[in-house]
Amino acid sequence: MSTLKVPLEGSLTYRGREGQWAYLLHRLTGLGTLLFLTIHILDTSTVYFLPDLYEHAIAIYRLTPFMLGEIVLVFCVLYHGVNGLRVALFDLRPELWSEARQRSSFWWTIALSLAFWLPAAYLMGRAIVEHNL
Amino acid sequence: MTATTPARTVARPRNFETKAWLFMRYSGVLLIPLVWIHVLIQDVLVGVHAIDLDYVAMRWATLGWRVYDMALLAFTFAHGMNGLRNVLNDYLRSPRLRRVADVVLLVGWIVISAIGAVAIVGGVRTP
Repeated sequence: MSTLKVPLEGSLTYRGREGQWAYLLHRLTGLGTLLFLTIHILDTSTVYFLPDLYEHAIAIYRLTPFMLGEIVLVFCVLYHGVNGLRVALFDLRPELWSEARQRSSFWWTIALSLAFWLPAAYLMGRAIVEHNL
Repeated sequence: MTATTPARTVARPRNFETKAWLFMRYSGVLLIPLVWIHVLIQDVLVGVHAIDLDYVAMRWATLGWRVYDMALLAFTFAHGMNGLRNVLNDYLRSPRLRRVADVVLLVGWIVISAIGAVAIVGGVRTP
């Protein structure tokens, strides 16, 4: 397990500031989204393979903890998309890159992700209040 | 803090890893409209309380949505599984473990993609 301990600790203690935070958040949001995506492909596939089971799966998604998780998922998808676009832009147009832009673009990424997420979180939160409380 | 390092460009070899690297960027750009529109409609506007077998059947009655969902399945899962491969390559030091991880991911990717594709083509069956 020492092969895992060193890079995992390094991820948290390496003082790369904005660049390192962007990288860590990108990994976490990506892995979280992939975990959900895998489950989501399989649960949606039950409409063909085991249609009785589909209503059970949807009933689970309607529980409050899962609807809260859905709000987190939407943030993951938004951040991963905005940050991925930032990464792709600097990778494919390296002449645009500078250390100062690397730093400021991370904060723009956070701001843009939150700007998209807040209205979505409000509507999804309202759905929890309407249906589950 | 004001010191800046100029960007350095290097020659890219035309091997599998370069193609995988480019695929992550191009598919990522495509996934922004594809995934965001899906999430906006299904999670934010429609909501999980309005989703059931009838809803899926109604949506898939339109061929365009089936094509859309097929593209969503193909690109999101390929992007995600290759992303997981990239992450694992950072932590797995031994070439043997990497081989094992590559085979597991490849099989998992093909099997789960196939399950999803069969369901989209087969459509909703009434219980």
